[in-house]
Amino acid sequence: MAGIRELRGRIKSVGNIKQITRAMEMVATTKLRKFQDRAVASRPYAEEITGLVGRLAAVLGDEIADKPLFMPREGGKRAVLVVTSDRGLCGSYNSNLLRALEAWRSEDESHRDVDAIDYFVYGRKGFSYLSRRGHNIAGVFDNPELEKIDYRGAARTAQTLVDGFLDGTYSRVQILYSAFESMARYVPTWIDFLPIQASSLVGDEDSSGAMAGGDVILEPDAEAIFDRLVPRYLETRMYNALVEALTSEYASRRMSMKNATDAAGDMQNELQSIYNRKRQEGITKDLLDIVGGAEALR
Amino acid sequence: MAGALTLRVITPDRIVLDQTTHSIRVPATDGLMGILPRHAHMVAALDVGVLTYEKDGKEACLFVSGGFLEVRDGTVRVVSEAGELPEEIDTERAKAAEERARKRLHGPRAQVDVVRAELALRRAAYRLTAAGARR
Repeated sequence: MAGIRELRGRIKSVGNIKQITRAMEMVATTKLRKFQDRAVASRPYAEEITGLVGRLAAVLGDEIADKPLFMPREGGKRAVLVVTSDRGLCGSYNSNLLRALEAWRSEDESHRDVDAIDYFVYGRKGFSYLSRRGHNIAGVFDNPELEKIDYRGAARTAQTLVDGFLDGTYSRVQILYSAFESMARYVPTWIDFLPIQASSLVGDEDSSGAMAGGDVILEPDAEAIFDRLVPRYLETRMYNALVEALTSEYASRRMSMKNATDAAGDMQNELQSIYNRKRQEGITKDLLDIVGGAEALR
Repeated sequence: MAGALTLRVITPDRIVLDQTTHSIRVPATDGLMGILPRHAHMVAALDVGVLTYEKDGKEACLFVSGGFLEVRDGTVRVVSEAGELPEEIDTERAKAAEERARKRLHGPRAQVDVVRAELALRRAAYRLTAAGARR
């Protein structure tokens, strides 16, 4: 009898796989919620800092163009921070991002010059991809690992990049990460981290006007506050990007595990009905034999 | 009483405090600064220290680790990397941190990042003050 025992084995193993993928789906759901909560919790802080930076930038006007973190530079290398995941089984999350990286590389001659670009990496997947292709990897951030990231960890990462920019090693720093648009959409996105584009700092009209008009008390003074504020601003951008990347990763992982669970369920049903049919065929055949035998004896 | 203030303390993890009060004292970079209702629009940089505010007629406090303050339309927004209420402060840890920073400052100068050690010492000391472990 072809395969009735094998069928039973396969049904069982598909069932086991389904159990595992379902467990992983549930873990991903929990973590997804955790990172979403974290993203929501950090929003007021980021909004306040961004708002203040914008309003003070309006006060300082053209002066900010002379600040080291705002000045475009010549000569140094480019730095690119690539944010991927440590673990696989998350659908097309990493491959989408790395495809965006390849698209960027094919855009321009200078994006392909291996000696002119240093990569910084979050996540083992990105690391193995880049190192296998012989790119310069200037730094791997794994302390704390991405999943355990907190504001201070993100601040340290931002500081590493800022230091590289200020000492002239890098003339430009960019971040490539997966922005979270919805549960089903994670878009590989570039951030121009350094130098800071003054035009990206726009405060809301009203209060910027009030500040520029000198109606606001600034303690100690606009420049001192601004100089303290800018590093915080960069930290929040970094933290946001990392938390958002994590949210995308887990949304993607949950989705792919859900699909795997559904597919395993379908396969299980299909195998079960084949199994039932085969079993019934066997019984019918046996019955025919018995009936035929009894008939012959008469 | 002539009006009230809303005090909001915002950190990257959460909103630590959001309540009405009548007076606030904050550690600005140039020294302690008092804020009463109907204060003019102001932005200030903060130092590590203890923020005190009036709560139900009594004085309450919390630890802030630098950051900024904006007074606008009767709302005082404190934006800081860390804001800890007295009951949240781990005094044992703060004491240990204070001890460690002291040792480092008294050790051989060459190997010590003096600025960092001093900052750590101040943070620990202010945490203890805010927690009420020291007056």
